[in-house]
Amino acid sequence: MKDLLIVEDDPEMQEFYRDMLNDAPFAVAYVSNGEDGLKKMKEKKYDLVILDIMMENITGDRLFALLRKDRHYKDVPVIMASSLDKQTYQCFQALGKVSFLEKPFTKETLINEINKYLQTPS
Amino acid sequence: MFTYNKNTFLNINKIIFSSLDIREVYQTMSNELSKIIDFDRLTITLITEDNDLYEAFVVQSKMYENTDIKKGDLYPMKGSLMEKVVQSNSPVIVDDTAKSQFVSDTVLFKEGIRSRMGFPLVYKGCIMKHQKLFHIDEKKYPIEFRERIIGSINFGSKRRKYYSKKHVDFVSKIAPQLAMAIENTRLFNRIKDAEEKYRAVVESSPDIIFECTGDGKFFLINPSVEKILGYSVHYFYDNQGYGLSLCHEDDQERVQSEILQLLNGEKNSLMDFEFRVIHKQGKVVWLSLEALPIKQNDKIIGIEGFCRDITERKKLDELKNNLIRDVTHELKTPVAKMEMAIDMYKRSFGKEKEFSNEKGLHVHNLLQNNIHHLKNIIRNVLDLSKLESGVEHLNVTGFPFIDLVEQVISELNILSIQKNNTITHQIPADMILKADKDKMYYLLVNLVGNAIKFTDNGKIDISSRITPKGIEVTVKDTGRGLGEEALKHAFDKFYKETSSLPGSGIGLTICKNIVELHDGSIWAESDGRGKGAKFIFRLPLPSSAK
Repeated sequence: MKDLLIVEDDPEMQEFYRDMLNDAPFAVAYVSNGEDGLKKMKEKKYDLVILDIMMENITGDRLFALLRKDRHYKDVPVIMASSLDKQTYQCFQALGKVSFLEKPFTKETLINEINKYLQTPS
Repeated sequence: MFTYNKNTFLNINKIIFSSLDIREVYQTMSNELSKIIDFDRLTITLITEDNDLYEAFVVQSKMYENTDIKKGDLYPMKGSLMEKVVQSNSPVIVDDTAKSQFVSDTVLFKEGIRSRMGFPLVYKGCIMKHQKLFHIDEKKYPIEFRERIIGSINFGSKRRKYYSKKHVDFVSKIAPQLAMAIENTRLFNRIKDAEEKYRAVVESSPDIIFECTGDGKFFLINPSVEKILGYSVHYFYDNQGYGLSLCHEDDQERVQSEILQLLNGEKNSLMDFEFRVIHKQGKVVWLSLEALPIKQNDKIIGIEGFCRDITERKKLDELKNNLIRDVTHELKTPVAKMEMAIDMYKRSFGKEKEFSNEKGLHVHNLLQNNIHHLKNIIRNVLDLSKLESGVEHLNVTGFPFIDLVEQVISELNILSIQKNNTITHQIPADMILKADKDKMYYLLVNLVGNAIKFTDNGKIDISSRITPKGIEVTVKDTGRGLGEEALKHAFDKFYKETSSLPGSGIGLTICKNIVELHDGSIWAESDGRGKGAKFIFRLPLPSSAK
């Protein structure tokens, strides 16, 4: 089973993720900040990481830049989720496998986005 | 007494070209001259620029300290020995000042001078029509070779009938060199003055002013560089490579490529080119560069220009950007979560059951519609604040306008059909619009969307025409039209004719901002209520666009 990590500091947003992914055929782990995200990723290699952008301390874009410098994570796909416009973060496209998920999103959009990388039917 | 001595003659020539201070030259020269020609008084007079006056450039007398004809004074040409010398372009001898021929003879007679000889100083050399410091483009600044009388050298003796042909012969041998030395000195002083003025401007400029060679060696950089970057001018004079090593690592490639394009002629100039440099103390400094290639004989040999410190402006822009980003996030997040909550709520009913009762569906739709409306308002307000704060920059490209128009029509057609309208356009297939495509899209969507909103069972047409003032695009509808008041205020922020009308009331304000950002204008026309409306925007023609 594929492993998915979601870094999201907003408990309500986490609730939406849980609701949308409760019947998904992969294991989902949740953390509430960038520091915990880094810790989790050291314990285990995830197949896909979803990052919230506006977080305290380590923001999603900062965390993303850190991952791209890490030899274990430089090729791991990342989805950046935010209520900001996609073009605000377009500059990250140059850094490899990354896509943007504009909040709000529907269950269908989320599953499609994840499947682009995990290639398991929902 | 007259002794022709070859050595003395050579000495005089040497002295003439030994210094650029002509008075110094003169002093030494007159000592040498006195060995050959006996004189009691020697003057060099120069024609001034207005030709009616001459200047007593040098006055030296063996007989007296005080004379009425003083060094540095100006005298009228009319009636002077000088005038005769200039007019005849040949030496003039006065045998006896008592039998006065010239105005100055009376004065000199009183001072004890009885005979005189005036000799023309003819300058043979190049005269630069214009002078530009540092680089002289010979095609632009022609150098002219010509002869010109610049003044005269005059000898005076206590004895009557003292000067003769042998004196003339000798003076004719030194006069051309003397003329050249004097003129060169004058040119040199003029250039020096101009250079000093230029230097004063350069030194006192708050911007970094520089000139460097093709391989990046600075041959001019002003002290502002130390104030702005912390490094002294010597750092730049001693190091090659345009100071590229000081650039922020993320900007080095960009800066280098721009410089190369200037050097190989791909670009004629750099304007408002912004990049970061690391200050000696480590902080980041933002510079805006304007630069031009230095050309010599059509060959590019270096770069000159200036850099302005724009760090403060950049910080302010960043603050504005961050504020807008944070506000955007704070406004959008709860709305996004509301939308997701509604979605979750809907899903909670399960696929097969849909909504358990009609009221549930109604509440869901009410929430969804209003959230949709709220989202639009938030987006518009944020777009407007971005435009108004000046943090939005245009990304101008050339694109076929017809493609954009057809895209907008196809996207809005469903709405239009729902209201039984038809949308047409008359945009020529080969029309290229030079503008920010995303913003033009927004503009059209708003104008066409408005037309649909206020038209039922009618027609909407998009057309364009080229006028001397620019490209005009008209969105015309057969809808409810605008009253006088509405025409006046259509583009005002939050203006709505009646509060029950749909929309946030800032769509047109944003349109106006977008058009103005393109140096264009926008206005509305209507023949009145029920007679349709026209919204017209005009963008400057590409040739006159910045």
